[in-house]
Amino acid sequence: MVGTLLTHGWKKFTRSAAFTKEVTASVFLGIMAVMMVGYTLALGFGLNYIITEGLDKPDSITFLNMLLLYYFVVEFVMRYMIQNVPVLDIQPYLHLPLRRSRIMHFLLVKSLAHVMNFVVLLLFTPFAITVVAQKFGATSGLNWLLSIWLISLSLHYLVILFKKQLDDSVWGILIFVLFFSGLAAADYYQWFRLSDVSASLFAAAANHSLVLLLSVVAAGTLYFLNHKFFMQGVYYDEQSGQSSVARKTQDFTFLKSLGIIGDWISVELKLVFRNKRPRTVFYMSGLFLLYGLLFYTQKSYTEGMPSFLLFVGVFITGIFMINYGQFLFSWQASHFDFILTRPLSIRQYIESKYWLLNSVTLLCFLVSIPYAYFGWNVVFNHAMLTLFNMGVNIYIVLNMAMWGPKKINLTKGGSLNYEGVGAAQWAMGIPLLASPYVIYTPFVIAGKPSWGIMAIGLVGVIGILLRPYLLTITAKRLERLKYSIAEGFRKD
Amino acid sequence: MISIQALKKTYKNVSVLDIPELFIGQNESFGLVGNNGAGKTTLFRTILDLIRPTEGKVVINGKNVLGNDEWKSYVGSFLDEGFLIPYLTPDEYFKFVGNLHHYSDADLKSFYDKFSELFNDEVIGKAKYISDLSKGNLKKVGIAAAFIGNPQLIMLDEPFENLDPTSQIRLKNLLQEERKQRNITYLISSHDLNHVTEICERIVILEKGKVLKDIKGSQNALAELEEYFKA
Repeated sequence: MVGTLLTHGWKKFTRSAAFTKEVTASVFLGIMAVMMVGYTLALGFGLNYIITEGLDKPDSITFLNMLLLYYFVVEFVMRYMIQNVPVLDIQPYLHLPLRRSRIMHFLLVKSLAHVMNFVVLLLFTPFAITVVAQKFGATSGLNWLLSIWLISLSLHYLVILFKKQLDDSVWGILIFVLFFSGLAAADYYQWFRLSDVSASLFAAAANHSLVLLLSVVAAGTLYFLNHKFFMQGVYYDEQSGQSSVARKTQDFTFLKSLGIIGDWISVELKLVFRNKRPRTVFYMSGLFLLYGLLFYTQKSYTEGMPSFLLFVGVFITGIFMINYGQFLFSWQASHFDFILTRPLSIRQYIESKYWLLNSVTLLCFLVSIPYAYFGWNVVFNHAMLTLFNMGVNIYIVLNMAMWGPKKINLTKGGSLNYEGVGAAQWAMGIPLLASPYVIYTPFVIAGKPSWGIMAIGLVGVIGILLRPYLLTITAKRLERLKYSIAEGFRKD
Repeated sequence: MISIQALKKTYKNVSVLDIPELFIGQNESFGLVGNNGAGKTTLFRTILDLIRPTEGKVVINGKNVLGNDEWKSYVGSFLDEGFLIPYLTPDEYFKFVGNLHHYSDADLKSFYDKFSELFNDEVIGKAKYISDLSKGNLKKVGIAAAFIGNPQLIMLDEPFENLDPTSQIRLKNLLQEERKQRNITYLISSHDLNHVTEICERIVILEKGKVLKDIKGSQNALAELEEYFKA
């Protein structure tokens, strides 16, 4: 029976629409995965050298042990982002003569086949063999490695519990991150040293079997807790969380004054806030506003390579336009026919998209004004690139989004969901980020980079002024392409 | 009302729709029947400018639907769930569609009154998104929304499917009542021969994209249809 269930799992993977249709995306992801495994393994082999030579810590074991608890914090967050709760797969088996408890065991064991469960082995096996085993003996090396692995597996089951209970809300993980950031700060200022706790814990892991035993107990307990919760949650209505939850309703009354276009924008805002994946896109855009901190704090960027900052500016002010816009029509795939049959012209439809994306771009700019802390010229750059995003890049987004858009199922979660990704979505970022440089570069060559920035803003203004004309061209294009887009959306 | 002229649709050299001429008059109630794959939904979609015909055209009130938005204000339609917005509550959805037709609150109120019997207190005023509704209630929401704006033409694909028996009867009464009160053209497809013969005065059988039979005002339309489908 286990064999049959395993083949079903494999078929589900290989026969899924995403796998068969998005060949490019699958190949790309496959290459990425192989590369990540390679890098991790290389890092594992280089770990001792990096610590002793690169960081100049001769006692590499103690140093690594100090960091291990923090490593697990990071691993937990990563797991939270990319790991899924494996519960919905079982629906078709529940009515068949199979013991529920066994299905659950199968499901939980199968969930172990996840790349995150092997990261620890890739990363620390070389270190365990060449350093820990050399110093304390083979048994200690094995004890140390197994303890760490079992803790990692405990995290695997902990994340499942965590996600299941919190239903994918961002708050739980945010509080978790804040808590451990606090602990790290306490460590840094030497109020409370979690790193010392970590060091003695994992030193003990090498020397006593007790820690190994404890981690076996931890992993086992979490496994059975999961099993218990899964057994309770097999009933369909409880699983999907449907019907019992009262749904929120809200209205964006300020959009009423914009007439029909305002109504459509208001509906699209509801789309963004009521569905998991677009909501994630929105919150991520908020997070990316902080992206500038990575660059504006470094002299090597602000003084060394100012032209690089154009890219940062496009990104900060246009992140929502880029991330939401790459699926501009896919979001509405489930009701695209509705849009085409209601009293609304394609021109008005495009216009509603235009105002939505440009308003958020403007909003991003306003929120980014505190970057004035790094000098007013940062704000000036942002202003010019905002104009450029609103006058030029918007049309690149609107037009590229029409290039073979794919259906998106709104109810599915956001992180690492590649549904709806096609060639256009991979390629869209390139012209958006490259276009300002087309204008900027000649001015740099002529030795007038500040004129270049102004020219970018000027081209943006021209684009904004040509709005009626450019929108009409865009609408005409959609008028031609709507049939094939609608047909693509009707297929699953 | 609708005039279909030399309409053809082919996919990879396979003809799915081939109608040389078909005219549906004002105030006509037109039924479309045919087995799966006969081209009913394709025809509906072509009329609604959702599919571009390979040849020919569909003209509503003298204007080609292709590249024209005017018909949208007097054609109400519900073909499938692609016509619903899943993340809105039914109330929000009706209000939104109402706004598109410049409905006042009073208009919306009288609309709710008309459909209150069909909705049976399961649709309005509930804190549920459309995606949470059962198949039957989804259908009711879609059909009701097609009536918003008092359109001259209403197109419904399989309106009785998924409805419980009470709702089927109520919907049938509602459709007939509406016709008594004002000029309205129906275009209804159905697999249920009883319902379709009760509501429609004219019934067309579609087979492999072609009009096979055009039954007008016949007293024994049901018998004729049964005869055809028996084979």
